[in-house]
Amino acid sequence: MQNKPIPVLLDGDPGHDDAIAWTLARASGRLRVLAVTSVCGNQTIEKTTYNARRVCTLIGLDVPVGRGRPRPLLEKPMNAPSVHGESGLDGPALPEPAMAESELGACELMAKALRESPEPVTIVATGPLTNVAALLMAHPELKARIARISLMGGGIGFGNWTPAAEFNILVDPEAAKYVFSAGVPILMAGLDVTEKALIFPEDFRRIGELHNPVADIVAQWLEFFYIFHKSIGYEGAPMHDPCAVMALLHPEIFTMRPLAVEIETTGEYCRGATVGDVYGVTGRAPNATCLLGVDRAAFADYLVEAMKFYGEDKA
Amino acid sequence: MNRYPVWLDCDAGVDDAIALMALHALPELDLLGISAVCGNASLKNTYRNVHRLNGLLGAHYPVYRGADRPLFRELHVSTAFHGQDGLGDVDLPEPPHEDRPESAWDALYACAKAHPGKLQLVATGPLTNLAIAFAKYRELPKLLGRILIMGGSASAGNITPAAEFNIYDDPEAASVVFQAGVPLVMCGLDVTLKALLRPDDWDELAAEGTRAGVFVRECLRPAWKFLQGMGFDGVPMHDACPVLYLAHPELFRGEMAGVRVETRGEITLGKTVTDLYSDKQVEDKNALVVLDVDRDGFIAVLKDCVRKLG
Repeated sequence: MQNKPIPVLLDGDPGHDDAIAWTLARASGRLRVLAVTSVCGNQTIEKTTYNARRVCTLIGLDVPVGRGRPRPLLEKPMNAPSVHGESGLDGPALPEPAMAESELGACELMAKALRESPEPVTIVATGPLTNVAALLMAHPELKARIARISLMGGGIGFGNWTPAAEFNILVDPEAAKYVFSAGVPILMAGLDVTEKALIFPEDFRRIGELHNPVADIVAQWLEFFYIFHKSIGYEGAPMHDPCAVMALLHPEIFTMRPLAVEIETTGEYCRGATVGDVYGVTGRAPNATCLLGVDRAAFADYLVEAMKFYGEDKA
Repeated sequence: MNRYPVWLDCDAGVDDAIALMALHALPELDLLGISAVCGNASLKNTYRNVHRLNGLLGAHYPVYRGADRPLFRELHVSTAFHGQDGLGDVDLPEPPHEDRPESAWDALYACAKAHPGKLQLVATGPLTNLAIAFAKYRELPKLLGRILIMGGSASAGNITPAAEFNIYDDPEAASVVFQAGVPLVMCGLDVTLKALLRPDDWDELAAEGTRAGVFVRECLRPAWKFLQGMGFDGVPMHDACPVLYLAHPELFRGEMAGVRVETRGEITLGKTVTDLYSDKQVEDKNALVVLDVDRDGFIAVLKDCVRKLG
């Protein structure tokens, strides 16, 4: 256990699982959130920015919220309303944002936080990597200020949006390619692990039974996410984005493997694939620590436990 | 016994050699002809090696020459694994033989026509000969019973991080074959890397003193040297997988899936993109993707085959 909190930047496209990841980050007490930035992905940049502010208000996270680019580096925006609804965060009613949006855009806000932090900062990236790539392109001098990038994206074994590609990487493959070749340490929570980090109805019932206002909403988000995924054949709700936070808090419950990972940006079928050198054929040094497995029950227990931060039912 | 009529298209190749030994020995299979393709070694060597194997087996399977290069790309041979001659540089003479003028694709077509809907086409090298046959004979798909290949991978590759050797060697040919509309069994790295023949296995076979047993140990020397350095504890019997699948499907587990071959990727060229898990399943499930094998059962069958050859 580290005593000193880890300084982090939260960059995402909320999104139910981004919101749950941030709720977990705030609750842990082990992460010190410096700023929040939005990226277009699960929904348009307007919606993800609004959702980011609503989530921060809900969980009492009083940090600047910076808006990202309205579109990926080269691609047209691609959203996922089938998963997250038209608002990007359908389900329970949320408070209106209590804070204004930062005057700084996502990239500038991240750069400022990196410059001002006395210690290297971990970037938790749970959406397409557009903002992170912009940061690395515009501020190569700040690379040393980044402890690592803990990201949800990709899959060594398979994709979800196409047979070869996972959504976050597919939305902005060029950004992902830039990030994976930047020389900054990467902790990659891909589908290999996130589709094993399943939350079942008994887990979100335990969260609902905490009867605090945040847990009530998290339980409903989880139920929303569960119902959608069950309809397409999953056994539970995959906690894609929370893996990128949980791996910082409880690395011991994950199995990990350092791999040389490259991003395919071309191809008829493979655009957006995260290609891992599983059989060591390139001789290239690993650039990413890939999460490949998780103790699911421990994951669920830690998630439930974390939600007590927002108050326990004393009745 | 109802025996399957079988055609073997191979780039012999030490594991092709073992596949051929199994094909020759298994009573369920009736091998009708063999075509050679470039791949593990040049066509000159793979063609010669098939004749050498005929000699080893005391067999007289008709052998045909196929393509001496991939459809569009440079040939990459694999001497580290298969030796300079493609057959582990073992001492095995080339017996006198007839040199047949028909090409691989013409001979394959004639054989398929003689056994309409029945022929089991086992392909253990790059798929160039098959693609040329499909290009030339539009009615070939409905004449074939099934194609069983060693090639591809549902996840990672062994020649590049994304691609397996046989598919990478001729990705366009592979794409033609995967789209041919013939029932396809894909024995990729997912299963073949589990079908390990270990040193105690080949020592046991060689100790029995048979020609075939000694050959197995000797031909695997370069491959074993190569693989030991990579942390393997045996040599994968890649090419024997589709042959044993044909005779003993009960030893294997697979799933139907949509499989497409990437021919345009920068780093994914030759990847067999396999839709086992995505949320948007490819509608056309064109291949049985073999994923697992009972390793001990597999090796037991293979050893029996070698023993039967004497």
